[in-house]
Amino acid sequence: MSLLQEEREIILSNEHVDNFDFAEVEEFVKNASKELFISHHFKTKNKMLVQPRGGFPTYKKQFALNEFFVNANVDVLPLTIDSNTRLNDYATAKKMLRLSEENEVDMLNGYPLVNHGYRTTRKMITHFNKPVSLRHGTPDARLLIETAIASGIFEIEGGPITYLLPYSKNFPLDKAFLYWKYVEKVCANYSLLNEPINRESFGPLTATLVPPAITIVIQLLEMLLSLEEGVKSFSVSFSQTGSMNQDIVAGAVIKKMAKFYAEQINCSDATINLVYHQWMGAFPTNKDFAEQLINMSTVIASMVGADKIITKTREEASGIPTKEANAATVANTQYTLGILNGLPNIVDPEEEEILTLEVKAIMEAVFNDPADTLWRKVFNSIKNGTIDVPFSPHIINHNEMITIRDAKKNIRIIKCGNVPIPKRCFEYEKAQCDLTKDTTSIVNDIIHDIGIMQ
Amino acid sequence: MKVVTGVVGNDIHVVANRLIELSLDARGFEVFNLGVNTYLEEFFDAAVETGADILLISSLNGEAEGWAREVKLLKSKYKTLDEVVMVIGGNLVVGTADADTIVPKYKKYGFDLVFHQVDLNTGLDTLEAFIQDKKEEKAS
Repeated sequence: MSLLQEEREIILSNEHVDNFDFAEVEEFVKNASKELFISHHFKTKNKMLVQPRGGFPTYKKQFALNEFFVNANVDVLPLTIDSNTRLNDYATAKKMLRLSEENEVDMLNGYPLVNHGYRTTRKMITHFNKPVSLRHGTPDARLLIETAIASGIFEIEGGPITYLLPYSKNFPLDKAFLYWKYVEKVCANYSLLNEPINRESFGPLTATLVPPAITIVIQLLEMLLSLEEGVKSFSVSFSQTGSMNQDIVAGAVIKKMAKFYAEQINCSDATINLVYHQWMGAFPTNKDFAEQLINMSTVIASMVGADKIITKTREEASGIPTKEANAATVANTQYTLGILNGLPNIVDPEEEEILTLEVKAIMEAVFNDPADTLWRKVFNSIKNGTIDVPFSPHIINHNEMITIRDAKKNIRIIKCGNVPIPKRCFEYEKAQCDLTKDTTSIVNDIIHDIGIMQ
Repeated sequence: MKVVTGVVGNDIHVVANRLIELSLDARGFEVFNLGVNTYLEEFFDAAVETGADILLISSLNGEAEGWAREVKLLKSKYKTLDEVVMVIGGNLVVGTADADTIVPKYKKYGFDLVFHQVDLNTGLDTLEAFIQDKKEEKAS
C-alpha cells in the first residue's frame, strides 16, 4: 500500500465518517456525469460561468437554496462549509446541526459536510446535476475534500497560503503546506478517472488594499504547488481592486504569468482558468447601491475576460443573505452578461510592464531560497517577509508592507518591507501618490481607502 | 513610551489593529503589538515583559465586556502594573448602547480611558493629553 493510501485510511477511519467505501467512491467518480465537472464546462462553454456563495446547515435548506439558484439559471452551485468543520471540530458541528434541525433556527454558518456524509450529500448533487464548488477556509481539509469528492463535488477551493494568512492567527503554516499536499495528490489521482477535478486558489486574501503583485505571486505559487502534484485543471483568482484599469492590468498579467510558470515546470498540458470575485471589501448598507456595485463588478469581470465570476448580494452589508436575494444576484448577473456586447480591448503596456517586473522579481527571490522543495521555499519566503500580505492576522506574516490608493484609486505600494520590489517599479508606484502628508493623514487616507465603496 | 496593544478575546478583526500600530508608531511610541485574538493574561504578561507604560486593548466584535470584568482581579496578581495606564477602545458592546452607559462601566472595571466608537486620532490625542497631565501632576 502506498504511503498516501495509508494516510487516507487513517484520515477516513474518523469516528464521524460512516464507513468510507474507497472502491465504490472510485467507481462513482469514474462514471459520474460530465455535467458535474466544472473543468468540463470551462472547456465547452463560451460564456463566463456565474457562481454565487451559500451554505445552510440542514439538508432541507441547502436543497431549497440550490433550487432557487437553478431557477435563476446558475452555472455553478456553491457549497459553503460551516466554521466548526473548517476547524475540524466535527463534534460541535454535529451538535449544532441537530439543534438546527430540531428548532428550525440556523446554528451554523454553512453546511457541515462531514456530518451529513457523502452518501446523503451525493443525492443532492446528482439530483441537480450542476457542477458544485467547495467553499471553506480550512487549513487541514483532508477529510473534508475526501468527503466532497465522494459526494460529487469536483471543484475544491483553497490552498495552504490563501486559506491561512487571511483567516488564522497561529495555525502552523508548515503543517498547512503538508495537509494541502495531500489534497493536491488526492485531486490529481481522481482526475485520472474522468474529467479533471478543478482546484481554485483564493485570490482576494484579506481583501484589504492587497497590491496585485502580492496577489499574483501567491496565485502562481499555489498553482505551481498544485500542478507539481499532478493537478490538471486550476483556477487562479483575484477580487475587484477598486480601479478598473488595475483590474484589467492584473487580469492580463496573471494570465500571461500563469502560462509562463506552468511551462517552466513542464505542465503546459494543464488548463488554467481565471476567476473574478465581485467586490470583497466593505459593502454599502444601502441595498440599491449594493446592486449597482455588483453590476459594475460584472462589467469589470467581462473587461478582464474572466472564465468565472463569484457573486455577492444586495444584503452583503447586513449578514448571511436570504436565498431570494442570493438567487436574484445570479439572475441579474446573467442578464448583465447577456447584454454586455462589443467590449473594447483595453491594454496599458506601461502598467503591465511594471506589474510583470514586480511579480517576476518576487518569484525569483522565492525560487532562489536555498530550501530543497518548493513548499519550503515558499514557507521561508513568507517567514522572512519576501511575501507580505497587508492586513493578515497571522503571526508569521511580516506586516511591513504599506499600501494606499492613488488619485485613480489604484492600490500602490509606498513601503516594501522585505518584499523585493525592483527600484524602478517602487519609484513608479510612489510617484503616483501624494507622499508629502504626515503619517496621521496617511492613516486617515488608508481608512478612507478601505471603505471606498461604502 | 512603551505601549502594549492588541485585540482582546476570540476577535480576529485585524484592520484597526494595524492602523493603531501605525498611528502610535507615528506619534513616537514604542509599540508592542500582540495582534488579534489575545487573552488578558497575554496582555499583562507582555506589559511586565516590556515594562510598558500603557496597555491599549481594543475590541470590535463587542465581546470585550466579558473579558473586562476580570481585569481588576487579574491585574492585582501582578505586582508591577499599578502605574500602567489602562486604555480600552473600539466597539465595546454587543448590540447597541451609548457611551454614557458604557464609559462608567468600563472605568469601574479598571480602565483610565474608555473610547466607545471614537475616531482613532481623537482617541490618541486624548491619550497623549492624559499622559501629559499625569506627568505635570507628578512634577508638581
